Amino acid sequence: MSIQRIYKYAFILITFSALVTFGSKSVYAQATDTTSADTTVHKVKKKETAGRQLCIGVNLVRPALNFYTPDQFGYEFEWDYYTHNEFYLAGEGGWGGSWVNYTNPTLQYTTENEFLTFGFNKSILPRDRPTDWDMMFIGMRAGVAPVKRSPVSYTILDSVWGNTPDTTTKGQNFAAVWAELTGGMRVELLKGLMAGWNFRARFLLDAKSFSELSPIYIAGYGRGDKNVAFDMNVYVSYGIRWRRRNSVDTSALHK
Amino acid sequence: MTKPGKYLYIVLIALSVVGWLACTQTRQPCETPLTASLNIEMQHLPTDTATIFVDTVLPGAEFIPISHLPNKGPDTAIYPQGTNFTISLSPVDTMCQWAFTTDSSHFGFDTMTFYYQRQVQFISNACGYVDFYNIDTVITTRHNIDSVHILNKSVTNNVNTTHLQICIHPDYF
Repeated sequence: MSIQRIYKYAFILITFSALVTFGSKSVYAQATDTTSADTTVHKVKKKETAGRQLCIGVNLVRPALNFYTPDQFGYEFEWDYYTHNEFYLAGEGGWGGSWVNYTNPTLQYTTENEFLTFGFNKSILPRDRPTDWDMMFIGMRAGVAPVKRSPVSYTILDSVWGNTPDTTTKGQNFAAVWAELTGGMRVELLKGLMAGWNFRARFLLDAKSFSELSPIYIAGYGRGDKNVAFDMNVYVSYGIRWRRRNSVDTSALHK
Repeated sequence: MTKPGKYLYIVLIALSVVGWLACTQTRQPCETPLTASLNIEMQHLPTDTATIFVDTVLPGAEFIPISHLPNKGPDTAIYPQGTNFTISLSPVDTMCQWAFTTDSSHFGFDTMTFYYQRQVQFISNACGYVDFYNIDTVITTRHNIDSVHILNKSVTNNVNTTHLQICIHPDYF
């Protein structure tokens, strides 16, 4: 995939995130203006009392899968940052690889890649109190992974004419770009320490990158030979919080 | 969330992870044909003056690869499926030959020589690579074969495409 395409997808994601962020702010601002113009309507502007939270976590499923599937490995971390109105900027990052060493017919290669995703989560669970950080959420991401694939060694079986001798093709570097829908839950087990799971549906945006050979595993995406990949993650994370306000600001009450 | 709810939640997570791990599999089974098949349709003209070809059923017909491999040849003969045959091209060369007879007990063989280009195609991690072909020329002797028509030059693992039409000489009937 060309670098222009990566820029294009990054641009689409950033534009979409900005629209969601500033769109929700402008709706909020419009509601405030309406209130000030119409003095007969009593509305309370609920101030953001939860403060800010930066949460950093690690995916526990990946190390477990590394143990069960010796032909692939991956490590994955996540972060999210609470902005306002139950809206979180979020992303993941990590690295991984795979070793394919099949026989009959022979197929041998390795892959390695890092990955980054960026997007948002929106909590759909009403907050009980400002200190309540339990959440059920939905979200979107865009992900990119530069993949390095080793030379591929293979044979072609033919019972009539005989098998082709071992053939080796050149290695290849390419980028995988995908969009992602996610949803899940997270609860605070101890102060600041949280655990949660999420399901992900990933949609490969440029499958042509894999036309020569679809890698068996791309860290961050999943099976490279599928245009749609599903995944489940379990995270343990720690939240750092600041700027919490202790009461609801009633200064916006209008007579 | 209440405390019992949180414990239940953790149990659900653990069960989900176990389920997820159980679904993990290494090499998937290959469900795609691993050989590019050259599909042949047999036809003939009912009389010397006829202009319309009709399908030909040849129950005693046989295709035998003329292979340079030891222990290959008659044991890899191809027999008809109705009016159709499916043979393969050699992935180790850009030409190959098949011997063909309409009835192996009574008639001699024709030799068909195929010239083609090979193109390696990745199918999947389960199946690996196969060769697809593009037929350039088919040359044949004419003991029982009247003519050969290439209907589709591209030979892939699509079993539903007819690539070649072989017209049997009217004298055979």
